[in-house]
Order: sequence, then C-alpha cells, then structure tokens
Amino acid sequence: MTTFDLLLQQTINGLSLGAMYALLALGFTLVYGILELINFSHFNVFMVGSFVALFVLQAFGLSGQEVILTGLPLFGVLLVAFIGTMLFSGALGLAIERLCLRPLRNVKGPAAMITTIGVSYILFNVILLTIGADSKNFPNPLPVIRWKLAGATLDFRVVLIWAIALLLMAALYIFVQRSRIGKAMRATAQDAEAARMMGVEVDKVIVMAFFLGSALAGAGGLIFGLYYNFTSFIIGFTAGLRAFTAAVLGGIGNVPGAMVGGVLIGLIEAMGGQFIATAWTDVIIFSILVLVLVFKPAGLFGRIAPSKS
Amino acid sequence: MLTRRQTFFATTALAAFGAAGTAYAADKVIKIGVDLSLTGADSQGANRVKNAIVMAFNEANEAHAVPGHRFELLVTDDGTATAGQYDPAQAATNARKMVADREVVAAIGPQMSGAGKAMTPILSQGGLATITPSSTNPDISDPKFAEQYRPAGKPIYFRTVTTDAYQGPNMANFLAEKLKVKTVYVLDDSGAFGVGVADSFQKQAEAKGMKVLGRDRLDPKAADYTAILTKIKSLNADALYYGGVTLAGVKLAKQAYDIIPNVIKSGPDGMRSSDLLSGAGFPAVEGWYTSIAAPHLTEDTKAAKFIEAFKQRFNDSPDDYTITAYDAALVIIDAVKRVAAAGKPVTRADIRDAIQTAKVSTIQGTVSFDANGDLADRTVSVFQIKKDTSKPLTDIDAQYKYLEVAPQS
Repeated sequence: MTTFDLLLQQTINGLSLGAMYALLALGFTLVYGILELINFSHFNVFMVGSFVALFVLQAFGLSGQEVILTGLPLFGVLLVAFIGTMLFSGALGLAIERLCLRPLRNVKGPAAMITTIGVSYILFNVILLTIGADSKNFPNPLPVIRWKLAGATLDFRVVLIWAIALLLMAALYIFVQRSRIGKAMRATAQDAEAARMMGVEVDKVIVMAFFLGSALAGAGGLIFGLYYNFTSFIIGFTAGLRAFTAAVLGGIGNVPGAMVGGVLIGLIEAMGGQFIATAWTDVIIFSILVLVLVFKPAGLFGRIAPSKS
Repeated sequence: MLTRRQTFFATTALAAFGAAGTAYAADKVIKIGVDLSLTGADSQGANRVKNAIVMAFNEANEAHAVPGHRFELLVTDDGTATAGQYDPAQAATNARKMVADREVVAAIGPQMSGAGKAMTPILSQGGLATITPSSTNPDISDPKFAEQYRPAGKPIYFRTVTTDAYQGPNMANFLAEKLKVKTVYVLDDSGAFGVGVADSFQKQAEAKGMKVLGRDRLDPKAADYTAILTKIKSLNADALYYGGVTLAGVKLAKQAYDIIPNVIKSGPDGMRSSDLLSGAGFPAVEGWYTSIAAPHLTEDTKAAKFIEAFKQRFNDSPDDYTITAYDAALVIIDAVKRVAAAGKPVTRADIRDAIQTAKVSTIQGTVSFDANGDLADRTVSVFQIKKDTSKPLTDIDAQYKYLEVAPQS
C-alpha cells in the first residue's frame, strides 16, 4: 500500500466511525440545547438500542453470519429494524425523561445531571445481569461487496452506513429547521421563558428532544451492530464519551456542529492509530478537546443560540 | 459458596468410602483443603475438577495408600453469585478457613490466578502448601514478588501446569519454526495477563530472528480496531500475535477477518474460550492459533484409563484441567505417603517440603517442581480453530483442534 492508499483507507475507516459518533453526538446536543443538561444516560440508551436491534433482527430469523439478504428483503428487514429500534429507544428516552428528569426540572444545581449518570448505570447493570457479560454475535445480513478504490477497499456495508447516517442527519436537520415543533425547539433553546410566553408548549419540546436524541442513539446502536457484528453491555462508555467530546468540539447545542465534530473525532482516531499508536487514541482526542476549549470555549462552530442566562 | 451442609456431605462421602473398605477404625484423618470456582461462569469446569479430586482421594482411601491414615476433603467455593465468577474476597475467606482448621495439611486450588493472588499471602502465613491445576500467572510464584505472595518465605504455590512465562515464548517458537513466520505484529489488551504474555512473546520472537514490525495496545472497552489493523495490513505482516482475553479479542477477531484475512493470527489460552466462538463466530475465528499452558491429555493414550473411569463414575467427559487436577491430588497423596513412611507426624511443613521434592508419576508424566514451585515440565500445547459442523459451534473441545506441543524455549 502506498501512503496515499493508506491515507484513503484510514479516511474511510475514520468516516465510518465518525458517522456513528455524529449520530450519538446529536442526542447530546439536542437535549443540551434545550435543557442545558448533559444527559449521560444517552451512553447506555445507545447500548440498549444495539440490543433491541439484535432482538429485532433475531425475530426475523437472522443470527450470526449465516443468512445473507439482498434486494427487497434486505431493504424491508433493515427498514423494520431501524423503525423498531428507533421507536423503542425513543420510548426509552421518553421514559427516562418522564420518570427521572421531569420531577427534577425545577431543582437547581447538578441533581439532574447526576440522575442521568445513575440511570446510565442502571441500564448498564440491567443488561449485564439479564443478558450476560459475554459479547453477543450480531447478525450480518448484508452481502459482502467490496470495491477497489485505488489501493483502498470500500465495503458495501460502509457505504450503506454512511448513507443511512447522512439520511437520518439530513432528516433531523430539516425537521429542526422547517417543522412547527422544530421551530418551537429552536425557540425554546434560545429562550425558554419567552417561548413559553409566545405559546410554545415547552414540555412537549423537551419530550421531543429526548425522543429524537434517543431514537438517533438507537439507530446508532443498530449501525454499530451492523458495522462491528457484535454487541456487549460495555459498548456505551467509550463510544458515548467520544461522541460527547464530538458534541463539545462542534459546539454543544449546535446540530451541524455535532455532525462535523463526530466526523472529526472519527478521523482523528483513525489517523492517530496509523501514525502514532492506538494506545494513545484517548490522549490525542482529549488533548485536541482541551486545546479547542481553551482557545474557542464555545467549540469550533459555537452555539447558534445565545446563552439563556 | 458451599453451605455448611454441602461441605459436610463432601467430607462424609469420602469418610464413608474410607470406612467401607477398612478395618482400622482409628485411622488418623488427613484433611485436604480444596478451593474451586463452583458458582458462576466456570462452574462446569470446576465441578469436573472437584470430581477428579474426589476420585483420586477415594481411590487412595480404598487402596490404603497411606497405612494408618485416611483422607478427607474440605471443599470450599470461591465463586459468588454477585461476581458471577470467582471472587478474590471469597477466595481469601476460604484460605483463612483452611488455615484455621489444624487438620488441613495441604490444599488443591484455586483455578484462577486472581483467586490465587488473594489466597497466597494467607496460605503462606499459615504454612499451608497448595497445588493449582490451572492458574498460570507467573507473578504468584516469581521470587521478585515473594514479599507479596509468600511473605513467610518458602514457596507454597505449586502448579501442575506451566506459566505464561512459557506460553508466550513457546508460541513464538511455534510461529518461527513450524509456520516459518518472518514478520509479526504484536498487540495486547492492556490487562496484566495480556501485557505480560505479549511481552514474553515479543522477546522470544526477536530472539528467534523474527522481525517485530510494531507493538500496540488495544483499549478493551473501545469497539474499533480498524485503524491498527489497516496499519498491520500496510506493513505486510506474516503474523499477528494478540496477548489478551476475549473482551478485546472478539472484536479483534471479527475485524481482522475483514481487513487482514490472510495473516496468521495467534494468541494465548485467553483466546481459547467459548466466548470467542459465540461472540466472534465462524468464519471470523477460523484458523486462529491458540495455546494452553499444559500438555493436551484428553486425546492421549496415557489418560485413556482415567478418562474411562471418570466417564463411568460421573457420566461426564474430563477436560485437560480435570486431568491436571487429578495429577495434583496424586502429588499430595505421594507427599503424605513419603512423610508417613519416614515415621514422622504428618504436618503442613513436612508436606510442603515433600511436595517441593516430589518426583511423582502422574497421568501427564513425571511431575516435579522448580525452586519456586513451578512445574519443571514446561509443555505448552498449540491448538487451531477449525470448524466442525457436526458439533456445537461453541464447543471448545470440538472446534479447537489440537496440533502439537509448541517447541520449547
């Protein structure tokens, strides 16, 4: 492999990782933009999402690497899997909001954030204790198609993952920009008090932010499973932390910023593994985060909405 | 852990056997402590080990192997439901229990190195020697860590398997001599076991003239190893050695299959696990070479008699570590026999010394120990994963094919 091929291959690797981080980062950013709450339960909503996806695919009789689908059956199965996983994860996000966070809405200080850490550990342990500690083989119904791109290999699976992630992010962006409730979300992010006075139902907006963020985390979980072909109770922490970093890097609360931040973190991880060492990945990622925050405290793209205080 | 009643049954079952075949009611009782991970993930293997030990001492009692003495077992369980596997805290409690019982003169166990590290300081202070049938961490018997693991001075942790200090190097020999590997990339999983075994592999690989193209460390909680695997691909490595267990190993096997399908992949006994077979699955795991720190005995003709007897008695097939446990029992019986034959009272100190100087014919061959309690015979066996569709695809014994003994360092 020439240096160019290598760079190309690592870019492909990094973009796949980045697509996943971006989907997860959006959940952090949506909730933060509206509530100024860092939602740590998001880590493990993603993890639970991957298990929901696993069960949905198993319900179709898919297991391991044995069954390969193409054409319409593949499209149908994936569609049902994505919708099912996203609905379930979205509902999980709603439940967390309703049961654990709404009662704390008017409590000042870090109580709500600490609660989300607690919820994260509950989800983590429930999966560990009910499903077990060993890694689960994730069905891979995608046909193996590989293209040569100069000296690099491009997998059909990778292209599909990019396409789905892009589609979901574009849909979210349009929803937030164009729809009525999207406008209400942006208004609430700018100034919840004023939005309420203008007749925006803030509770509904918050519920929507949790639903959308968690549904995207679920989609991220399914994509994770399809890409890595395994899942385990432990996957939420590293991916969640890096996605959160991506959100901060792009400017937390900023939707396009989260997408770009995710892709950047993915690329940094891949290039760092190539040119420095995989063992140093976290040092590299978090050093960049510290540097960005020192020089640009609002992140690369800043918050679109002015601060509420 | 075992309830008091279960422990009682374990002891009385043996006592009944002893009494049935003997006229000497006044036989002196020799108690042997046993610590195994009977609760949790490892219970299946642990029960086989327990059965092998029970079988060995019953046979000794029936045959009056040590005239005037009768063996009884004190069986303890270091597995707990909350840990889901062995629990070092429980292992320490069990060690205290054995040490507190003055009739206990020797012990067998534990199975796990983590439990061994918790038990050895207590056993050492109590002067109680134990023989482990399967724990391979070299630190426990290394004189460098004597203060930690044998504070009272003398070695008390003996093994009927070898250690990871040979698992890594012997695999390096196998790759160099048998597979003619010229270039290798070494990875580990950041854990104590993984780093240690990868270090010892790397050292021997270099000594054998292999070119080590690089060394990197995986974060077992991360999911993506494509960057490092792409790098290995670009370096055109002949082989990959991964020191570690399956938490990172499952992901590595999956992604390596996609990115470097034609590179030889190898690892230690941490990769000989049904977790790898179920988590990564075929075809990703096909072709991986893994080792164990013991001779492979279940297909050996020397073990045929034992295996037949074991099957008949317990309706279950023994595995390699069942046999090393039976061997451990034979070593203890021999030690007691020699001490008693010398006309001395059977004490912990004398039994320890007798184990240290043992030269016992067992199923795996003649067992003797070096000055630190490690097995003199440093056999490491090599296996390769080859799909056998006639058996369950997560069955270790069916899917890992035994190849040969790795060349000695």
